[in-house]
Amino acid sequence: MNEAEAILMGLRVWAMIGAVVAAVFLTVGMDRIDEDAQGAYIFRPLLIPGVLVIWPLVLWRWYVYESGREVWSRRYAPPRRAHFAVGLILPVGIAVIILTGLVLRQTWPADIAPVQLSTAQEVSQ
Amino acid sequence: MSDKNSPFFVGYLSAPQALRTFLMVICVVFVSGLAGLGLALGVAQDDPGDGAFRFDYGRQTVTGVLEMTPYPVVRVTEGNERIADGQTLMLSGQGKNSIMTRASPLEGQLVKVSGVILDRGDLEMLQLRGGRNGLSAVEGTAPQMQTEQLGRWRLAGEICDGKCLAGAMRPGRGIAHKACANLCLLGDIPPVFVTTQPVEGHEFLLITGPEGTALPPSAYHHVAQFISLEGDVERRGDLLVLKMDPATVEVVR
Repeated sequence: MNEAEAILMGLRVWAMIGAVVAAVFLTVGMDRIDEDAQGAYIFRPLLIPGVLVIWPLVLWRWYVYESGREVWSRRYAPPRRAHFAVGLILPVGIAVIILTGLVLRQTWPADIAPVQLSTAQEVSQ
Repeated sequence: MSDKNSPFFVGYLSAPQALRTFLMVICVVFVSGLAGLGLALGVAQDDPGDGAFRFDYGRQTVTGVLEMTPYPVVRVTEGNERIADGQTLMLSGQGKNSIMTRASPLEGQLVKVSGVILDRGDLEMLQLRGGRNGLSAVEGTAPQMQTEQLGRWRLAGEICDGKCLAGAMRPGRGIAHKACANLCLLGDIPPVFVTTQPVEGHEFLLITGPEGTALPPSAYHHVAQFISLEGDVERRGDLLVLKMDPATVEVVR
């Protein structure tokens, strides 16, 4: 298995676990942690793609709610504290990534001509 | 909140007089800046080429001899008004799927292939229809097809997947397309080597591993990079096949 296959396999495993989490959470877990969602089903399939991607966070949040450790105000504290830094880092980071990509990218080696190293007869010998 | 006279922007009210100049400058700079950035990034990109699915040609059906290089190609023996006899078409399935399992039992036999053409200059691929509608054996004896050995070459260029390069994606090459290309290659879509300058009149060569094996794992690292390599070249109809030597791959700086 080369690296490309390993990455693809990793993504497949991640998505398969996410599918199991989505199936359990959207049919069982959601009703247990959100009383407003009880009896509402149409919107749940819309959440499947998101759960496939962030299923560890879904599991963590489910655990926090189930265990009674949830303090709603704390949820918003880290994002609020990080607003300024993220607001600065994000545009600067995007600009740096674009510029780095443009600087590092290769130049098409149009000046390198094909070279015949040996003829067919020499290869067969 | 300490200064009740400081101007405050509210979206559904008229902008405060003191903020109008500031807002106007911000709007002009923001809009023109984004437009300029978009233009600059667009101009900096390489030409994606003129490859495309040729749905406008309609469904193409031809007969020929199926060969595995190990990637499936068909040597056309009975073409049509668009695909001439003697042409060699690379074959793929739908999406990022190969037709290996369908093609392997028919290797060396006379087959009928049907599908839509992807066309980019002298690079042509046929995306087959599903099942036997796309590939089936036909009555008759397959003629002996000639393969001409062209010797060992050192080439510079880029490894791509043949389908995206031929027009399934735009751009179908380059570092931005690497992940897509690797997914196609993992699906056994025929890989193609784009040369910096034509080899025997061809800019695109079907590339395989040494001795006609599948593309070696080490080659995946170099997909979409500009590299030089050595390998044996052979001509099958109007298609050149490069059997790469993985030990000779070097990244061009």
